[in-house]
Amino acid sequence: MRLLLLEDDMLLGEGLRDWLAGEGHVVDWCRSLGEASAMQGEPFDALLVDWQLPDGSGLDRLAERVQGLDGGADDYLVKPFAPEELAARLRAVLRRAGGGADDRWRHGAVTVDLAARAALHDGAPVELTAREWAVLEALVRRAGRLVTRPELERLVLGFESELASNAIEVHVSALRRKLGRTLIETVRGLGYRVARA
Amino acid sequence: MSPRPPSIAGRLARALGAWTLLWGAAVGLAIWLAATHEVDELLDDTLASSAELLVAVLREHGDAEGTPLPDAAIRRFAWQLVDADGRVRLRSPRAPQAAWREGGAAGLATVPGWRVYGLATGREGRMLYAAQSLGERQEARLEVALAAIAAAVAVGLLGHFWLRAHLRDELQPLQRLSMRLHAWDPGAAAPPLGAPERAELAPFHAAIDLLAARLAARLANERAFAAHAAHALRTPLAGIDAQLAVALRETDGAVAERLQRVRGAAARLQAVVAALLALFRSGDGAAALQRRALDLRSLLGRLPGLPLAVAVSGGATLDADPDLLLAALVNLLDNAARAGAAHATLQVEADALTLHDDGPGVPTARREALRAALADADNQGGAPLGLGLLLAARVARVHGGALSLPEVERGFAVRLQLGPGPGVPGGGALEPAR
Repeated sequence: MRLLLLEDDMLLGEGLRDWLAGEGHVVDWCRSLGEASAMQGEPFDALLVDWQLPDGSGLDRLAERVQGLDGGADDYLVKPFAPEELAARLRAVLRRAGGGADDRWRHGAVTVDLAARAALHDGAPVELTAREWAVLEALVRRAGRLVTRPELERLVLGFESELASNAIEVHVSALRRKLGRTLIETVRGLGYRVARA
Repeated sequence: MSPRPPSIAGRLARALGAWTLLWGAAVGLAIWLAATHEVDELLDDTLASSAELLVAVLREHGDAEGTPLPDAAIRRFAWQLVDADGRVRLRSPRAPQAAWREGGAAGLATVPGWRVYGLATGREGRMLYAAQSLGERQEARLEVALAAIAAAVAVGLLGHFWLRAHLRDELQPLQRLSMRLHAWDPGAAAPPLGAPERAELAPFHAAIDLLAARLAARLANERAFAAHAAHALRTPLAGIDAQLAVALRETDGAVAERLQRVRGAAARLQAVVAALLALFRSGDGAAALQRRALDLRSLLGRLPGLPLAVAVSGGATLDADPDLLLAALVNLLDNAARAGAAHATLQVEADALTLHDDGPGVPTARREALRAALADADNQGGAPLGLGLLLAARVARVHGGALSLPEVERGFAVRLQLGPGPGVPGGGALEPAR
């Protein structure tokens, strides 16, 4: 998942960024609303916002700028909190945002367990790199919908990452090799899509 | 203990009593003087009238010895008919044999034991003397004066008791004001004093309103400070935990174990800070209580690196504020570990939690001292409660319950009795993430 983390405290921001990155998420960390303004229009799965920032209230200002937030938060945590709890609450929020759908996505012999962050082929676990998992998760969370290549790049690699021009193709090829060629459909000239479960 | 201050009602009652006595005495003296004078005049007039009546009778019936005279005159007065030579010709039974006066003296005079009025009969120089004993006159004066004084004192006493009753009624508004102040929670918006019941109480109401406004402003300032302090303390604590979590994931072996212990200590610090801030933010903590059903095992899972082995028995679920309950448990478990306990049992009931450790326990005298300190609600007497028991007692109290130290055969036990869960407000406004 691609996350926008808005936190002005260096110790906490860095710790959360590294923890969530270790969980396989793509995290863009901003320390102020000014920095976050540059992210307008970026496709984030979730925003992690500190209530009080040096240049204003994180929630209020982002509600104006980010379409779909509807001026409110889906959940909140009172500091101090453990990063494990934040990650668990994040997964719960995303599950609710997906209509409470099953965390397991199945297509043929392939099963993707979003909660366990695991991919299975014929019931056997398949080892994926962090980037491969990020590509697979981004597509599965948008199953049945076309994901354009630029959108997928931003979802998987974040705002500031240097990216080789064919990086997405390389990860898609690896996924097809490990999980089957029919798993990911290429919509020529536009992007990629996986079927609904 | 400071001496009891004087009572307004008592002082006024004593003043009223003294005033009543003084008033009665002054009125009695005035009446005595007036009555003496008026009674003397009245009796003298009566004496003269009686003499004139007797002379008229003598003229009518003659003055030979044995002449009958009116009964009334005989009972009230004494009289003598005295010849010109001073011999008593006739006399009433009470009159002395010797003449009261000689030489034809007429008019009023006082002789030893008598008040005498002399009147010439007009026959052979004889004089009629009508007299009244001085004792009888004194008795008449005394009866009149005493009756008047008694009436004055009765009026005074009636006034005294009426004023005392009225004074009690007038002091009632002050008593009601005291009771309302006694029930006033300084954390409330304003004291529920209502309108002043007497004009004299209006300045007092105004002073209390002013005091309440100052107190509210002070509380608001302190709570605002607590909110800022919360943000300032919570964020670095969360940062420490996040950094330790990342470091733990990137490390293994002995360093990981050391980091795990540090993270456990940080988690306990977080719990205590969160509880202290919650208690401080709400004054007594009750307003910010965020009570919900808690699973004790899950709650303890938030505390990595517990200082002793903890077993949970009973229902394992109770209704409480998680931050506050966790802070109480952290401190009680730390106390138990410091005392030498290696194991502890948490017995969970619907609205109570009992922690029983296998440590050496405390001597009876010490336990009694701790109990006495717990009975002192705010531990203001410098009683020997450490932070652990003090915090746990406060947590129990803001939940509507109390902390107690049950008798156990071995080890040491602490029981947190929480108030009834259902019906207790969920606790103030939702606390936003900071």
